[in-house]
Order: sequence, then structure tokens, then C-alpha cells
Amino acid sequence: MGLPYKRQSGSALLANSDDAAAMLDGAVKRYGSGESAVVALDDVTIAFPAGKFTAVMGPSGSGKSTMMHCAAGLDQLTSGRAFVGSTDLSTLDDRELTKLRRERIGFVFQTFNLVATLTVKENICLPLTLSGRQPSDGMLDQVVSMLSLGDRMHHRPAELSGGQQQRVAVARALVARPQVVFADEPTGNLDTRSGQEILGYLRSAVDKHHQSIVVVTHDPNAAAWADHVVFVVDGRVHDVMDSPSADTVLDVMKGLGR
Amino acid sequence: MSQMVRSAVRSVLASRGRFLLTGTAIALSVAFLVATLVLSDSMRGRAASDIAEALAGTDAVVQGVSLGEPGGGPGDPVRSVRRSLDPDMTERVAAVDGVEEAASQWKGFAKLVVDGSPVGTGTASDVGRNWVANPEFNPFQLESGRPPTEVGEVVIDRSLADDAGVAPGDVVQVLTATGMHDATITGIATFASADAAPLERTVLLPDGAGSAWLDMAAPTEVLVDIAEGADRTEVLGQLSALSDAKVVDGSDYIRTMQNAATSPLQFLNVFLLAFAVVAVLIGVTIIFNTFTLTVARRRRESGLLRAIGAERRQVLGGVVIEAAFIGTIATLVGLVCGVAGVGALRWVVGLTGISLITGPSIVSPTSIAIAATVGIGATILSAWIPARRAAATSPMEALRESAAEPRVVSRARTASGLVLAAAAIVGGAVAVVSSNPVWLMLAAAIIPALVLCGPAIVIASARWSSPAARRAAGVSGSIAAGNLAASPRRSASTALAIMLGTAMVTMFAMFASSLTSAVGTDVHDGLQADLVVTSATPDFSTIDPTLAGRIAEQPDVDAVTALKKTEGIVEEKAQAIGGIDPTALPTMFDLDPIAGDLADLSSGGVAVVGDDPSLLGETLEIEFERSTIEAPIVAVVARSTGGFEAPAYFVDAATLEASVGRLLDAQVFVDLADGAVADAEEDVSALVRDTPGSFLATREEHVASSGSEIAKFGNFIDGMLILASFIALLGIANTTALAINERSGEIGLLRAVGASRRELRRIVQLEVAILSFVAASIGIAVGAGYGWAMIDVTGGAEIPAVIVPWLRLAVTLIVAVAAGVLAAAWPAFRVSRVPVLKLVSGDS
Repeated sequence: MGLPYKRQSGSALLANSDDAAAMLDGAVKRYGSGESAVVALDDVTIAFPAGKFTAVMGPSGSGKSTMMHCAAGLDQLTSGRAFVGSTDLSTLDDRELTKLRRERIGFVFQTFNLVATLTVKENICLPLTLSGRQPSDGMLDQVVSMLSLGDRMHHRPAELSGGQQQRVAVARALVARPQVVFADEPTGNLDTRSGQEILGYLRSAVDKHHQSIVVVTHDPNAAAWADHVVFVVDGRVHDVMDSPSADTVLDVMKGLGR
Repeated sequence: MSQMVRSAVRSVLASRGRFLLTGTAIALSVAFLVATLVLSDSMRGRAASDIAEALAGTDAVVQGVSLGEPGGGPGDPVRSVRRSLDPDMTERVAAVDGVEEAASQWKGFAKLVVDGSPVGTGTASDVGRNWVANPEFNPFQLESGRPPTEVGEVVIDRSLADDAGVAPGDVVQVLTATGMHDATITGIATFASADAAPLERTVLLPDGAGSAWLDMAAPTEVLVDIAEGADRTEVLGQLSALSDAKVVDGSDYIRTMQNAATSPLQFLNVFLLAFAVVAVLIGVTIIFNTFTLTVARRRRESGLLRAIGAERRQVLGGVVIEAAFIGTIATLVGLVCGVAGVGALRWVVGLTGISLITGPSIVSPTSIAIAATVGIGATILSAWIPARRAAATSPMEALRESAAEPRVVSRARTASGLVLAAAAIVGGAVAVVSSNPVWLMLAAAIIPALVLCGPAIVIASARWSSPAARRAAGVSGSIAAGNLAASPRRSASTALAIMLGTAMVTMFAMFASSLTSAVGTDVHDGLQADLVVTSATPDFSTIDPTLAGRIAEQPDVDAVTALKKTEGIVEEKAQAIGGIDPTALPTMFDLDPIAGDLADLSSGGVAVVGDDPSLLGETLEIEFERSTIEAPIVAVVARSTGGFEAPAYFVDAATLEASVGRLLDAQVFVDLADGAVADAEEDVSALVRDTPGSFLATREEHVASSGSEIAKFGNFIDGMLILASFIALLGIANTTALAINERSGEIGLLRAVGASRRELRRIVQLEVAILSFVAASIGIAVGAGYGWAMIDVTGGAEIPAVIVPWLRLAVTLIVAVAAGVLAAAWPAFRVSRVPVLKLVSGDS
């Protein structure tokens, strides 16, 4: 597969939108109005390719998190369109968005990832139970064994380490085989070893099961696990890199004034 | 300092919603408290000041020797019983050196009847007293007309005149112990400046009517004016030396009359105050919760302040000033609402059927001071405790620790709670077994036990309800049950508010149902007569004694017998004594004799109501106003004639009248001949209609109406239930809103992974429903247990059996849970409306 985009005057055009797991088209997100208005996304067009691991990087306040929230239907665009697969999110009402989130998107957040009152197993199955489905045993076993959570299934989140908790969150995001998984700084609260483990799991989900994954991060070491890295600065896509390594990513970041 | 004040005010304004709720809780508690105090003062104060004013001219009073004082509870006699005076007492008093003047005061029963119907209903007594000529002594003042001079002339109080719409010159009737008398109104009088004497309807009679109408041989009291310049102490000393009399100083007399006028209300005041205390407790719980959270949120900030060198006092100060600010404003609002709301409270109390004294409310500085102190004090204290805890933690600890409350409950706390609970149960059991009310104090330890065990109860109920909730509502159910235990202490304090409210309501409901049954069961089981003629009020007999004879003359009437009732002193307690025809009565009302023979009453014996056959043969002494009888117990009966103030002892009617003089009939039982029922009943009915002070009921009607007074008490309980639910509602709304704030991250996550708004709402409501259900169940159980022990121990003969009002308890449970879910509706709605992203990124 070639480049997922072509750079053109500060915005990114998609090369093969048919193959995108999620996509933003002319996305603008403005907070506030008048002189105090802040433009978080400034006419962004980008596609996140299916079956790939994409990292979104950028300095603080660059708009990388907003980009993810809008692409995942957690936030509304001021103008432009967001797609998950071929579904235009702007045409959905709250109920349909909710349904879309639990059936077609997986989430991993930095904190507040698990429901404290549910067991590990219940947490993992949460999106499925909410939509009234049972996890297929094969898929659950597969995810659980991949993330080495087999002996933790009946524990509560409070009994787990931070790394283990984040593994549960990853398992929850993967178990329903969503069209795309969005992870917002999934390693931000972890020590280096646990962080690398989590990224390793995400990587293998892409490699073994062609899962589409988008990770927002500011850590070049995390971005190095991705197939592509998208650099965001001041609400625009600044650059894109294929087959990144920690060093090449760091170089670009330094160039961004970081 | 001003910097601190400004930042405190800003902080309040910044979280308006939460503090509005807290403020409302404080304001409501204060309002209820102040309304109760003002109502209590108004009832007491108006009566007290009227009495003080009316009796101001009296230096001393000579009375009969007291035989027994009235009890304070419902069903207890309301008057004290005194030995009657020597008929010449007034002259003897006047003859004492230093007495300027002595005046006789006669007081008996007299009821005004206009156009055949008695005037005035409700709890006030119908009093006939003589017009005292000397205006110095006379508590009444003529408003119009002239004093009564001849027997057959009367003056009535203004309240009676207004009720009946009569004026001087009108011809009316007066029912007294000697029957119905025609009378002409010569004047209208006021009691000091009031329309009527407190809780009395007064007909004022000329001196001669004392014996002719009131059927009294001697004055009730002698009013004394001590000559100017005479040695007061010495005169009082000489008066005390008079035989068979008791002398009371004027000021003591006023105090006694004041107490007598207000004591029927004390019972009610205790109830109202109990509810006020619960209201305040619930309010404090809400305030405490709010500030605990406020402080927890600021923990990090205070840690930082401490780290850079702020003193503890400076960290504490802001929170306390904030509390003082809210407390003061809310208390002021509460005071205003409370004073304005006295009318509403009067209405609730009016549901009991107790007519309260009308007139302006008395707002005493003490009431205001008490309510304000409680309001502001409770707020500051509830803020200070968590703030102090926060300030006491080391700066670094505060910086590190998260705001969430620990989920672990200290074992020592639960254990000491369980010990207290066990002690309470043992206390209750011992009280029941030994019939000793002192042990009930130990049983009250159940309240601190609930406070201590609360968090453990919450955690346990979260665990136990989880499987059921899961089955009922899927994963939302598990989350709801789990959330309960997320901050056990806070959930526990909400639960405590519900527990206290429901326990209180349950206790009163138990009391009411048991009393209703006690009053009604005897009638239900014992009454065999076809018709019953009853008096206007249960306390006073008002049936013309000639009525029974006239009914007996009707065709198709088989038999008629009357029940007479008066008060006597047995073993130093005032008791209702019944006078019956021992051969006729048992055919119409089965008293269920378990030992001896009622027929022996005619030879001067006494029958005792009770369940101990071994009393048979013992000698009983009954003291009356004019005489004492000593008689052997010849029968023990298991049942009395029912209703309020049912006799505890029976003697022959002739014996009774020989001891106390002529009496009106309390009830008349009528048996109709078999067959001609409809016509005969109409004939009797016509007779009764023409006889004021008497009311006809069929057997079914009488059985149904017995205990109906207490049914009104049920209305009062319902009013209180609504009030308690409303306050608890605020508590739940507050706690739930706080919990949601704290859990916004988790809620955001649920929304992100696909929980719908409806599911979020359901989680919140389910959580509250579980908590309300558990708390209300415990509250009802505790209230029922304590109420049962209390009624069993203190109920005595008036409430022989504890009746559990299952239906009302079930309704209480349903109302409590429904109120909880209703209260959670608002926070639940709010949480479902918040945009997902705000929740996700809320705390990160």
C-alpha cells in the first residue's frame, strides 16, 4: 500500500478513501466565537487506513486529541465531515452515535478506562453486553490469552496494576472486533516497560487480525510502533511519515519546535 | 482575611447548584424547627398570657385537696380530681384576718344548645361557671349586655356567641348535669381580651345556678383578695390552717391553669419536635456530605498551599467562612419561611382534629435564637469536621492522594456498631419482659448503632443486591449496585436520613393502629345492642338522663340501659369509673367476665377490667370528689365498653350516683324487639334527634366510628410522611448529584463505549432505588421494633395489644423508594444530557 495521503497546502488529501477505517474531510473545529475563538482543527482532511496502525503526534495544544474525538464521534465538527467506514457521522443523532460507538469503535483512554464496580471480564464484555450481544467464546479467549489476562478475569480493577488495567482496556477495545480502535495517550500513565507491552499488543492485533488502530501520543517511542505517523501542528496536518522509528520521529518533532 | 472572604464567596457562586441544594436543606430544617417552636409558643403563649391577664386580680385560691392528676397521653383523663370543699368554705375564708374579700367559684359541666343542636365541636371542654360579681376576681369581662342575676339567665363567651350566632335577649337551652334547661342570654363576655378561655367553651351562670343546674353542693374554689397592708405570708399561713382545703398563691394558681390549658398540646409538641429534630439531622447530613466533597476536591490545592507555607488555620479558614456564608443566608431564608409557614404547619396539625387556638403567632426571640444557632452552627460544624481532617493530613500526602473516599470501612467501627445494636435489642427485650420503661433508653442505642454500621450496611447491600440487580437490569444493574459501595460513608449518610424518617413514621403508625384497635376492639367484640346513643364528646357525658326512660316507652323497644361515667382515683391514678345496671347491661354489651359475677355489683361490689382473676375478693378504694367508696372486687371482666376513656372499673349505677351526685348518661344501649326493626329505629331516632347532646348510631355504625378520632391521627402521620419524604428527597438529590460529579470520568467512559443516555439514567435511578429500599426496610424494621417495645411497655391498659399496620408500612416503603427514585430523576437527567466529551476529559 502506498501513502495514505498527499501533502497539499497544509491539509492532507486521501489517496484511497475506499480503504479507510475512518476519515475526516475538510474538518474544522472551532471553540468559542468572535475574537476569543480557538480553532482546534483547521480544514483537516485525512484518512486512517484499514488494517494499519496509525499514530497521531503533535505538541500540546496542536489539536491531535480533538482530531481523534471528532473522528470517533465523541465531539461534533464545526464544519466538514467525519466518516467511520462509509458512515457519515454528521448524519447520525445521539442514539445512532451511541450505537455506532459500541458496535464499530473501540476506545482506550489514558485514565478512567475501567468501571470500578465491574470485574475484569465484565469490563471487557461491556460494549457487547450494552448492545445485548454475547462475546463469541473464541474471540474472548483469543483476546484474553493474547493479553495474558486469563487468571485475572474475576478480579476488580482496583486489584490490578496500572499496566494490567490498561491491558484490560485494550482487551475491551478489541473484543468486539470494531472497525477501528482509537487510543488516546494509552501509555501516558504507565512506566516504560508496561507502555511498550501495551503497544506490542496493539501491534500484534494489527498484524494478526488486521485490526485498524489510531493512537494519539506525544511519545516518539510509542509512535515508532506504528505503520504511519501523522504530525499535527496548530490544527493542521503538518507531515506524515511511513515506517517510523523513534529517532526519525524525534527528528521531526524537534523540527516542530518541541 | 477579606481576601479569604472574597475567595469563599466566589467559590460558592462558582458551584451555585450544589450550594443551592445545601442551602435549601439548611433553610428547610431551620424553617421546620422555627415553625414548630413558634407554633408551640403560640399555643402555649397565647393561652398563658390570656390566663395571666384574666386571673391577675386574684391573690390566692382555696381549693379542694387534690386526689389525682391527669395523665398526658391520649385516652388519659384530662382533668385533675379534687376533694370537694366544705359548702361553708367561702364564709370561713372571708372570716380569716387580712382577707379583704372571698368569692365562690363554681365550675361544672354546661353545654350551650341552640335550636336543638349543641354548639361547638372539637377538643375544648364545655364549662359552666358562676358569674363572679366582683370584677377584680372575675376572669370574664362583659362585652355587651348585663350579668346573669336569676337562675334561667346566662352569659356566654364571645366565641360561643359567634359560633351559634346568638345575641343578648335570645332564648337558648343549656344542658347540665341536672338535664336540659331553658335560658335567656343576658350578655356576651370575653376571657381577658380573648374570645374564650383556652380550650374551654364557657356558659356563665348566676350564683344560684351552682346547685340547681351544675348539681354541686359546694363551690369548686374560693377566690381570695388579701387586704392591702396585711402580711401576705401570714394570711396564706392562716388560710392553710383551714381544714380540708389547699391554698394556692395567685401566681402558682395562674401557672397551674396555664399548664392545664396547654398540657393537651404537649403530646403534640413532642411529636412535632421529634420531627423537627429528624429534619435537622437530615439537613446536617446533606450539609456534611457537600462539604466533605468540597474539601476532598480541594485537598490537593490545600496540600499545595501547605507545602508553600500556609498555616493550617489559613487552609481551614476559607472553608469555614464559606460555610458561615451559606449557613447564614440559608438560615435567614429558613427563619422567614418558617415564620411564614406556621400556618401550613397548623394545617398539618389540624389534620389530627385538634383545634388550635387561633390568634396571632408568637415569635419569641428564643425560638429565633435556637433555630438560628442550630442552622448556622450545624453548617459550620459540618464544614469544619472534614476541613480539619484535610488540614491535618501532611502536605505531600494531600498532594498525592486522590479525592475519592476510601472504600474500606474500619472493622472497629462496624464492630462497635454491632455491639450497640445488640445492646439495643437486649435493652428492648428486657424492657418488654420486665415492663420497665427505663430499659427503652438502652434500646435507643439503635440510632448510634445505625450511624456506625451504616457504611457496612451499604457495602453489604451492594454485594447482596448485585445478583438480583444484574438479573433485573443486566450490566446496568451490576454497575448500580456496585456504585453504592463506591463511597460507603456518603451513601450511608443518605441512608441514615431515610432510615430515621421511615423509622419515625413507622413508630407513629404503630402507635396509631394499636390505639385505634384498643379503642375499637372492645366495641367490635362486645357490643350486642341494636342501637347506641352516644354523647357529644367521649370525655364528657352529655345525654339527658331522662332519655333512656323515654326510649324504653317506645313500642318495639325491648330493653334500654345506660352507662354512666365519672372520674375517680384508684391507687393515686385518675381512672374512668363506669356505673351500670348489672343485670341489664350484660345483655347488651358483653363485658366478658372471667371471674366472679357481675350481679354482685348491686350489693356494692366493684368489677375490674383486666386479665387477672386472682384480684377477686380484694378490697378496692375509689376516691371521688365528695366521697370515697371501699368495696370488694366481685368480678373481673376482660372487656370494657370501648372508645376513649372506657371505664377501667364498674360499679352499680346507683352506687355511683350516691357517691358523686347526679350524672348525665355517657351512652345508652337500646335493644329492639325482633321483627319490627325499621319503624322502631325511626321512632328512637326521632327521640334522640330532639334531645341535644345525644347521637344515635346503629351497632355497625358505632363499631365503625369507635377509634375514628385516631384515624384523624393517621392523617397527621401521612402529612409528616410527606414532609419527611420531601426532606429525604433533597438529601438523595444532593448525594446523587455529588456522586455523579465524582464519577464523571467513569460515566464518560460508559458513554464512550456505547451506553445510551437511558442506560445511564437507569443506573443512577437503580442505585438510589436499592439504597432507598434497603434504608427504608431497615428504618421500618427499627421503627416497628422500637415502637412495639415502647407500646408494649408503656401502653398499659389503654393499649393492651400491639397492632402492626402492615398496609401503612408497605405504603411507607413504597413511598420512600418512589421518593428516592423521583429525587434521583433530576441528577439522572442531568448526567444523561452532559456531552460525552466533557465527561471523558472532565478530570484529565
